[in-house]
Amino acid sequence: MSQPKEIFVKTHRCVGCLSCTIACAVEHSKSKTLFGAISETPVPKSRVYVQWVEPDGKVPLVCRHCEDAPCMYACISGAISRDENGVVITDTDKCIGCWTCVMVCPYGVIGRHLEEHKAYRCDRCPDREIPACVSACPTGALVYDTVDSFSAKVRNHVSRELLRAERG
Amino acid sequence: MAYTDKILEKSIDPSVHKMLERAEKLNLETVWDRYEAMLPECGFGELGVCCRNCNMGPCRISPFDDQGPKKGVCGATADIIVARNLIRMIAGGAAAHSDHGRDLAHTLLLTAEGKGGGYEIKDEEKLKALAGEYSIETQGRTKEQIALDLARAVYGEFGKQEGFVQFTRRAPEKRVALWKSLGIDPRGIDREIVEIMHRTHIGVDNDPVNLILQGLKASIADGWGGSTIATELSDVLFGTPMPVRSQSNLGVLKQDHVNIIVHGHEPVLSEMIVAASNDPELVGLAEKLGAKGINVAGICCTGNEIIMRHGIPIVGNFLQQELAVITGAVEAMIVDVQCIMPSLGPLSECFHTKFISTSPKAKFPGAIHMEFSEEKAFDIARQIVQAAVENYSLRIPEKVLIPEDKTECMVGFSAEAIVKALGGTLDPLLNAIKSGDIKGIAGVVGCNNPKIKHDHGHVVLVRELIKNNVLVTTTGCNAIACAKSGLMLPEAADQAGDGLKGVCRTLGVPPVLHMGSCVDISRILTLCASVANALGVDISDLPVAGAAPEWMSEKAVSIGAYVVSSGIFTVLGTVPPVLGSKVVTELLTRGANEVVGATFAVEPDPVKGAGLMIAHMDKKRQALGI
Amino acid sequence: MYPGSCFGRKGDNVTEEKSKYIIVGASAAGMAAAHTIRLHDRQGSVTVLSEEPDTPYFRPLIPFVVSGKKRAEDMVLSGCGPYTGRDIFVRTEARVESVNTAEKTVSVQGSGVLAYEKILFATGSRPYIPPEIKGTDTKGVFALRTLAHARNMAKRVKTSDHAVMLGGGLLNLKAAFALLERGLKVTLVVYSPEVLSQLMEPEDAFLIRKAMDTAGLKIKTGCAATHIISEHTGVTGVALDHGGEMSCRMVCIGKGVRPNVEFLNGTNVWIDGGIVTDRYTACSAPDAFAAGDVAVTFKPGSGDRIMTALWTNAVEMGRCAGRNMAGVKTAYSGTLGILNATQVAEEPFVSMGVVHTKDRDFEVYRHATDTTYRKVVFNPQGTRLMGAVFIGDITNAGLYRYVIRGKMPVMHIKRYIMDHTLHYGHVMTGKM
Ligand SMILES: Cc1cc2nc3c(=O)[nH]c(=O)nc-3n(C[C@H](O)[C@H](O)[C@H](O)COP(=O)(O)OP(=O)(O)OC[C@H]3O[C@@H](n4cnc5c(N)ncnc54)[C@H](O)[C@@H]3O)c2cc1C
Ligand code: SF4
Ligand code: SF4
Ligand code: SF4
Repeated sequence: MSQPKEIFVKTHRCVGCLSCTIACAVEHSKSKTLFGAISETPVPKSRVYVQWVEPDGKVPLVCRHCEDAPCMYACISGAISRDENGVVITDTDKCIGCWTCVMVCPYGVIGRHLEEHKAYRCDRCPDREIPACVSACPTGALVYDTVDSFSAKVRNHVSRELLRAERG
Repeated sequence: MAYTDKILEKSIDPSVHKMLERAEKLNLETVWDRYEAMLPECGFGELGVCCRNCNMGPCRISPFDDQGPKKGVCGATADIIVARNLIRMIAGGAAAHSDHGRDLAHTLLLTAEGKGGGYEIKDEEKLKALAGEYSIETQGRTKEQIALDLARAVYGEFGKQEGFVQFTRRAPEKRVALWKSLGIDPRGIDREIVEIMHRTHIGVDNDPVNLILQGLKASIADGWGGSTIATELSDVLFGTPMPVRSQSNLGVLKQDHVNIIVHGHEPVLSEMIVAASNDPELVGLAEKLGAKGINVAGICCTGNEIIMRHGIPIVGNFLQQELAVITGAVEAMIVDVQCIMPSLGPLSECFHTKFISTSPKAKFPGAIHMEFSEEKAFDIARQIVQAAVENYSLRIPEKVLIPEDKTECMVGFSAEAIVKALGGTLDPLLNAIKSGDIKGIAGVVGCNNPKIKHDHGHVVLVRELIKNNVLVTTTGCNAIACAKSGLMLPEAADQAGDGLKGVCRTLGVPPVLHMGSCVDISRILTLCASVANALGVDISDLPVAGAAPEWMSEKAVSIGAYVVSSGIFTVLGTVPPVLGSKVVTELLTRGANEVVGATFAVEPDPVKGAGLMIAHMDKKRQALGI
Repeated sequence: MYPGSCFGRKGDNVTEEKSKYIIVGASAAGMAAAHTIRLHDRQGSVTVLSEEPDTPYFRPLIPFVVSGKKRAEDMVLSGCGPYTGRDIFVRTEARVESVNTAEKTVSVQGSGVLAYEKILFATGSRPYIPPEIKGTDTKGVFALRTLAHARNMAKRVKTSDHAVMLGGGLLNLKAAFALLERGLKVTLVVYSPEVLSQLMEPEDAFLIRKAMDTAGLKIKTGCAATHIISEHTGVTGVALDHGGEMSCRMVCIGKGVRPNVEFLNGTNVWIDGGIVTDRYTACSAPDAFAAGDVAVTFKPGSGDRIMTALWTNAVEMGRCAGRNMAGVKTAYSGTLGILNATQVAEEPFVSMGVVHTKDRDFEVYRHATDTTYRKVVFNPQGTRLMGAVFIGDITNAGLYRYVIRGKMPVMHIKRYIMDHTLHYGHVMTGKM
């Protein structure tokens, strides 16, 4: 079986343009188009957040679909489960909006849908091959890859850098 | 030959398919590749809600109510930011058109002073007519004397602080009165553009409606000012276009000729290149190098200028500029200003093609700069053509692939030419409109845009219009698309509805009239004004409509704005960056009707777009009781 | 029902006399332990015993049965969330009467004796009914804890127009809102000066109080019930300590909970309020563990003993116990005594760690707007975050919990904590 892919964040590449947030909200709208999405009620929600760290850090944050997902165990209504691709899913029908998951997720990536009184989070875009945020990112700060392949690329890059440094 | 869907969906033009396949084979990047790499495009930009007007920002407003910032650092709302950005686009477009007009005023001035390196006054009749508009004495004066006064007067329009711009007075009185009452009667061309830049500076005008009104004002200064000046003075200097036959599309390039392409906008350069290419010495040189002759052809509006006046063939429209180079048969791509892709430099380096820039205002990476000056116009043009001819020997035969596609066309329909074709008076046209043989007049204009299947928007919309007896006037890249599709032949009348077909047959004209380059939309305005005046109504009362099915440039935004300000309903085929503001969107698509008697509509589907225009004409006809 | 789990009832032909793992209590702690055992031991038989007639369910959802918003079927635990392990044998209506820790057997009411290798006590807690209140033994008096209670309450609603809630704790509030939704008039009688006194101080609660008022809840603070007035159809009113009386057809008591430890009477299992556990969730008898509301555990860092009554804690402790029972030695990281998130009326709130600071030596920051309130509590030196209350805006509460629980030095991020701008980006860029 092929390894499931995950979203990796290359913080240093983020320019803070928020394109990912728009793409995510549009992907989770009824019309799935920007021009349609902006006039929908309830307003479509982004599941990815770009946070700012003084003085110039821009950090995209998105559900990690943690291996030991604290939200899943904390949920008092059994609304959070993991699917066969390792994606931690919030079942909106079951969710009662008690926000226990919000209280335990250290990444702060579970949102509160006020109109519907439900928790929402990244669902890894089940209708897409490549998640909307990843394809929207103009600088490649978000990467969709398997753990193995991503770390191989990182190793590769680091060793090239090392070599270059050695050779001056 | 079968192309991949990927290629087929990019254009309706078979020459484009051929060249895209070629590009793929040669591993060359084109505008479509870059567009694809850009996707998805930035949603903030698409909605017009990012602002970089001050350094507290850049700011962007979240389009989704409960997430992200709702105001810029200064407090500007999405409405304010969208309005500011939109009119800055207008400023850019109005500046481009008007600066083009200014260059012609400059050329006329030099010519009148006897300093123009090869220019002469070709249309004295028009010169006198224009002088009349400016109340310049013509009786007993030489054409140079008249031209000097006219050039000075026109030059003055740009830096004028007070009063009005003369050519705006061609508009019906009601229209002018309306502009005055709205405070959007421009005082001077540059002034209104500068005022946009001032008003959109941080902390100045923060009322979306007030901002948009200033945008309209500057756009009127473009359409009825700068653009009209560009058109009229070009006619004075190079002759007013009259119907002429020519050819269009990449197939006009010749295997055995030195191929010189002029690309850009101002006839000041292209006219001289055409003249120089007829220099027997240079033709001789070309023959010596094994070519059968020198073949000049145009792209974009400069191509429109020379096809209209000389029947010089046209290679293609905006999205075909790279493809022309990819034929491998172009000795020189000579450019001046506007709509010239900077990608041409690196692309030309893959071939023997010399990419020659000429304007001090427009330099490009990878270009050879041979600066043009009006004083030594012919000499410089000769040097440029010579460089092109000499380059012929460097052509790499294996890299040459010229598509055979080319289409006959009949062009050159200036307003004057139309009146002439009508027999010296507008009456036959008015009668045809009244009788319903002609339902209305459409001005279909604008660019190409890779967001829309190349030429599909243009051609489908125009076909739909003529089928419904709408006489189509066209300029710019739409005109080129129509020429390539065979719509500019008298025979194309067969594709028109019965009424229009009859009119075209009688007059021997095509149902789609090529009126020139983008600045020549002023010809359409002039025509509409004449029709309105003849009927004693305002332009907004006429069964006329505009469309820009594949627009992309700031110039197009300015055009859209002055066309609507002139009272003409306009359909856009691509979405302008305004949807981030409900107020601005509402104003442009609805509210404007109460203000200037016309609105915008956005409709990417060309058939539906034509439908909107036709419905509008029907409504206007009904109101006129015809 | 999730395939693979199987459920037995009293009277079924249960031949099994011995189970490798016996878990007493089939709720948060017990079921979390059972499923965790399955992850580490695919073979050993797991038997879960519950005295309740219902198959395991999400206890915190029972107020929805009262309000009618959910059906019992919608609350079934097995197969939901992380509870997807196979071959877990749950026996309902199987009350454990006693345990023989020497023989390692339990005696189940009405169906004999069962032997075990490892046992988990996860019997949870039950509502505390204060003896000072007289006459509670009548129809229409409730203390909401089980699905059965909820069903009964839902029935009683039909013949009631006014419900009096004794106690202003979270569970009673939930019950109160469920009754409000059913259209009853609901009065909350609270002895403390303000509601939710366990989770915040009176001055912290103003937004919640406002939301409750807006929702239409009547609240009487600073007074207590002395007895329940009743006749043959059940409760007809409540007598209050200041002499007044309120007529009502329903009373709901929410005065805290007490651990279910009676079945261990006579054993050598160390009980001190609840079942005392060590760092590995083991209790004092061999091969015996405890988790959930019934267990006495410790706070992270200080190691002070505490008991909690929280689903999330019960699950965490249950999972830890499950690992230890299956032989994967795992230390429990301890828990915060207060760790609550919920929404009262329109107001979401989170309360965690140290939140009662009156007359105590803490560094406290409060910030209030019309719609939000927050209080963050630091240690006296101001170097560590100890607790927090967020009302209205609970963004990133999880990160604060992580900081509190990890006892992290906070000097360099204190400004963000006080401004409520802390986010995980600070962690990722090495600010934390
Ligand atoms: C209405 C309500 C709302 C709540 N809301 C929240 C909330 O929002 N957040 C939160 O964190 N917590 C909440 N709680 C608390 C939470 O439900 C408990 O903390 C949690 O259920 C404790 O789980 P447990 O497994 O320790 O015990 P319990 O859930 O109490 O379960 C005990 C189990 O043991 C069984 N049992 C007991 N004695 C015996 C015996 N002698 N023999 C056999 N079986 C026995 C019972 O049948 C039951 O299956 C709420 C509780 C209630 C009642
Ligand atoms: S212009 Fe503004 S909104 Fe668009 S990409 Fe750049 S930063 Fe983002
Ligand atoms: S808010 Fe919803 S998903 Fe989150 S813990 Fe509560 S019920 Fe579960
Ligand atoms: S993967 Fe999809 S759902 Fe998740 S953050 Fe990205 S766009 Fe949103």
